Amino acid sequence: MKIFKALELAVAVLCVAASTSAWSQGGDTAGAPASTHGASQMAAPGAAAPVGRKADRALRHKVYAAIGKDKEISAGDIGISAKDGAVTLNGTVTDAAQIGQATVIAGAVPGVTSVINKLTVKKPLGGM
Amino acid sequence: MKLKSYQLAVLIVFPAAVHAQSSVTLYGVLDTGLLYQSTSAATFLPTAANLGREYQLKDGGIYSSYWGLKGSEDIGGGNKITFKLQGAFNTTTGKFGLADTPGATAMFNQYATVGASGSFGTFDAGRQIVPMIYAMADTDVRGSQYFGSILTAWLGLNQAAGWPGTSTNAPVGALYDSNALVYTTPKFYGTSLALEYAPGGVAGQVQGGTRESAVLKYSNYGLNLSALYYNGHDTNPYPLTYPTAAAVPATGLSNNRFYYLGALYTVKGFSLSTSYAIAKNPANSNSVNLEMASGGLGYQFNPAFKITSGYYYLKDRNHAANHSSEFAVGAEYNLSARTKVYAQVGYVNNKGTMSQTIIYGNPVAPGVSTNAAMVGLRHNF
Repeated sequence: MKIFKALELAVAVLCVAASTSAWSQGGDTAGAPASTHGASQMAAPGAAAPVGRKADRALRHKVYAAIGKDKEISAGDIGISAKDGAVTLNGTVTDAAQIGQATVIAGAVPGVTSVINKLTVKKPLGGM
Repeated sequence: MKLKSYQLAVLIVFPAAVHAQSSVTLYGVLDTGLLYQSTSAATFLPTAANLGREYQLKDGGIYSSYWGLKGSEDIGGGNKITFKLQGAFNTTTGKFGLADTPGATAMFNQYATVGASGSFGTFDAGRQIVPMIYAMADTDVRGSQYFGSILTAWLGLNQAAGWPGTSTNAPVGALYDSNALVYTTPKFYGTSLALEYAPGGVAGQVQGGTRESAVLKYSNYGLNLSALYYNGHDTNPYPLTYPTAAAVPATGLSNNRFYYLGALYTVKGFSLSTSYAIAKNPANSNSVNLEMASGGLGYQFNPAFKITSGYYYLKDRNHAANHSSEFAVGAEYNLSARTKVYAQVGYVNNKGTMSQTIIYGNPVAPGVSTNAAMVGLRHNF
């Protein structure tokens, strides 16, 4: 697990370095239908979220545990990050309906104030 | 539409018989593109001549084109009876995909299964894409795609083990197995197990032509882990020069073994993967004893655009001169929920008798380096 933590850190550093270029890509999707392209956002009702890195990590864990319980969604294909109650979902699911389902599950986790969903559908080989 | 009116007729004739919800879906994908490849060959023979560069319209840049019918019937108690009929076809010629017999095609070469699913897990009987392929796809950033992925690397192992490429009966592991019985457990804290047994149906030989495999998967916390074991008896009985040379008769000999361990980690928009595999002929490891290793890196810029890359290394443990390195990178852009465009490039350096391809089903000249590039379109219906 130590290796993964280190790997995660290295990738996070890379991600910060790349984040300026990543944000500018947003313009690419302007002309496209919002339903398939725009990252959907959902604000969850509830009390003010606890803040700090430790709280972020705990919340990330809780959201993984919640999504991991879903029978269809593979939480191994999803990268979850949390910041002061705001949760971002990256990665892939195998069916369009699971995108919305992931937002619903994450939004229901206590302490989550908003969900930014950047999930995309990736059909497995020969997959339906 | 024909189906609908038929269903309506059934409803009218047997109104009382229809309580359970059931459905049939017609679905499919068309995937076609333009391919350039710097070398080519007529066969996967290790002595095949280099026929030079080629430009062609090519089916299956991401995965093959296919169509299918699937359905399910709710039988109560949370259980369903399911079926799936699915076949690959080539958009450039209209031909069906390969069967287990050399040179023959099958209408439903990918799936012809009937099964059940419920709280006990899922069970499917019939010809199908076997669990080992999903285990590899789940731990490859390139997702076992048809262009430069763990799939083409694994096929490279098969070519090194004497697969002529004219049937789906492979000497190392399998993409499809006929006669397969596959049971998959439900997920338990992200962990699941898939077990496969395929009786061979060979008269007088209980072990003749049988297959058995197990896949252990973990998927949670952004991490996919796969471990797989595959064992086949009397696989790939067709020599490279078949039908001039006759097929080897089935005797129950265990001659196909494949072990694989892989991991894929997703964090923010990044995905990273690595794997290691060993392929052997347990009856004669002097003839087939191969290794495969991979690494992958991808980045999802936004929900519509991603770039994936992978590196694949093959090694012949019996002959150090035979090894192969491949690198592939691809960009995919979703035009809509059902249509994507893609561009990808690949490079393979084959040494000795290795002939790892860049794209599925398109031989490269063995023992030399090859480049390929492809742009294409993939549309779901």
